[in-house]
Amino acid sequence: MSLALVAVGASLCACADEPTAQIRTTTDTILALLADPALKIEARNSERRQLIRMELDRRIDWATVARSSLGHHWAKRTRAEQTEFVSLFSRLLEETFIDKFETQHSELAKVEYLGAKIIDEYASVKAQVTTKDQIVHPVEYRLQKSGKDWRVYDVLLEGVSLVKNYRDQFDEILAKSSYGKLVADLRAKIPQAVTLAASNPP
Amino acid sequence: MKKTYLEFVVGLFLAIGIGCLAWLSIKLARKEFFARNGYELQASFSNGSGLRRGTPVVIAGVEIGRVASVGLEDYEAKVRLVVQPGVVLQGDTIASIKTKGLIGEKYIELTPGASDKTIKPGGVIRETQPAMDLEALIGKYIQGNLAKPDDKGQPPR
Repeated sequence: MSLALVAVGASLCACADEPTAQIRTTTDTILALLADPALKIEARNSERRQLIRMELDRRIDWATVARSSLGHHWAKRTRAEQTEFVSLFSRLLEETFIDKFETQHSELAKVEYLGAKIIDEYASVKAQVTTKDQIVHPVEYRLQKSGKDWRVYDVLLEGVSLVKNYRDQFDEILAKSSYGKLVADLRAKIPQAVTLAASNPP
Repeated sequence: MKKTYLEFVVGLFLAIGIGCLAWLSIKLARKEFFARNGYELQASFSNGSGLRRGTPVVIAGVEIGRVASVGLEDYEAKVRLVVQPGVVLQGDTIASIKTKGLIGEKYIELTPGASDKTIKPGGVIRETQPAMDLEALIGKYIQGNLAKPDDKGQPPR
């Protein structure tokens, strides 16, 4: 009896940190949407994607992801350009993520959460994703507290930061061409991401 | 006359040698001066492989600081850096460990962010990216390929 109580206590303690609990809830919700047989029919593709999109919007701070990815170039843009950039980049990222979820979720075997490190209003949640071929992929979510919510502003896959990856790419593009060209490229990529995702139902 | 000329040449070579030593001393002293007069920051890396005292800290290819010490704290590499005065780092500056070439010397690259807040002297660079574990990634790639069906669709052995 006492061992059972300790076991229950241990599992409760494992979820006791709020950032991990919130990441877990978002991940479980998205996986449930992807696995739901009622949503797998092509006629409901848009509805499924919209539900996943709403869940992502709840957890990811797209404005900070976009701003941080543009790095020191952000301050040089006008307020209107900044708003436009956040809208375009977050839309592109969101469609790309949803596409990846829809095409790759069947390869997922399990997700394990390894704990969070919380310092003031910032947290880092480490997890590992094991695919069906037994390969373990480390994932780290970086979050900032916003009221009661912890919202993701960066994700590290295999130790590589998504924000740093885009920051480097934007630095290179802006060194060789113009901000206008970068925006045009982002706009051009969005319809491709949407079309690719629509043609790959789960 | 000949003897005077010989003495002059010997003296000239000696002067050049002493000049080179003086130049070297000044250059090393300048680095020490820079290290003493910069401001200190800390950063933690989950993998700090290759970092040591004196590792360069670089922005856009320009050296702006050096690593002062590397220690272990909470099973992470805790690094103290000294950055030259006048370099302003945004709160979301990312510190990553890079290698010169594929197997060259390690250095810390700082990529400036967009945050309005700046990191104060004595502060912490919050956003870090660990050193890449190339062997682990290659191992995963090989393992992943071995696990896939072959070209004829036969399962892996």
